[in-house]
Amino acid sequence: MPAEFLVSSFFKWGGRKDDGPSASPVTAATEPLTQSKVLPKVLATLSHVQSPMLMDLGPVVGSNISFFGEHLGCKILVEDMFAEVESHAKAGTRDALAVDLVARLKREPASIDGVFCWDLFDYLDRLSSQALAAHLVKLLRPGGVLYGFFGSTPADLAYYTRFTVEAPDAMRLRQAPATPTRRNVLVTRDINKMFVGLDVKESVLLKSNARETLFRKPS
Amino acid sequence: MNIGKSVVIKGDLTGSEDLTIEGQVEGKIELRQNILTIGANGKIKASIFAKAVIVQGEVVGDITASERVDIRDAGSVDGDLSAPRIAIADGAHFRGSIDMQRQGGKAPDVRPTDTKPADVKPAPVPAPAATATAAR
Repeated sequence: MPAEFLVSSFFKWGGRKDDGPSASPVTAATEPLTQSKVLPKVLATLSHVQSPMLMDLGPVVGSNISFFGEHLGCKILVEDMFAEVESHAKAGTRDALAVDLVARLKREPASIDGVFCWDLFDYLDRLSSQALAAHLVKLLRPGGVLYGFFGSTPADLAYYTRFTVEAPDAMRLRQAPATPTRRNVLVTRDINKMFVGLDVKESVLLKSNARETLFRKPS
Repeated sequence: MNIGKSVVIKGDLTGSEDLTIEGQVEGKIELRQNILTIGANGKIKASIFAKAVIVQGEVVGDITASERVDIRDAGSVDGDLSAPRIAIADGAHFRGSIDMQRQGGKAPDVRPTDTKPADVKPAPVPAPAATATAAR
């Protein structure tokens, strides 16, 4: 039996069944596209803003920078919160994450037009989630938007995901290994209530059972 | 033009030809009409102003380029980027803000801020066109 088959069978056997593609380390070419109904609305909203200020809380993805730059002529703040998550996961200090997350985002209140959280909240405990959400609400300008992607299946996440925007309505989710972290499963009601002061403009349940949500701060 | 990995420069580095840095620079680097490459061994703590900047090593400081900034997969930047075109490879480290302008827009302003005099150690850099203005 070819070694390649054994390896691929092993990863398929251990792979997840929902909330996104398999956790196996696959190449970009084999990763399926995830259609997004929310991202086009995020982009449409931001396209009305002159030189919007965006904040990306995920691992830096070069093509996203180019994509947002070309589509929106924006300024982007890259704050890879997964680096904080990973360091706390390694140290077993997840409970202390809230303070570090908020401390890292020292910006003027009401200075950001758009926040891309991706699936960050899956990796946080409830206290950290609430603290970070409250801080992000403060950072958003009136009329600003926040994009989140929330898994719904309890699982240990032994990876983080790079969301690579391929088109205004399509992303490729690429996974990289990380210290296992228990997913913080949030039901829709919890998600909506977490961002006090923001309106839910769009909430879409994907085939993978993950939920995309677009929040907007009232003008 | 190369700056080798044993060279440490503290101060302003200006020039009019393409430059590759494998050593350490602290201060300010200006190559307004040229390409600056930070090699894999390069460690820079400086504000950088150039036509194009390629980062394969480490940079702590802001980078302003009139054409492009390219952070390769082993590259690391802690600072703000300003350029019309920016490429960041998977695996690169970046923390800071990115300011890109729409195509056809006005080129970024690359005027440097005032800086203090500088010192160079351990020895003068062999630089026929790129000059390290230095004094201690």
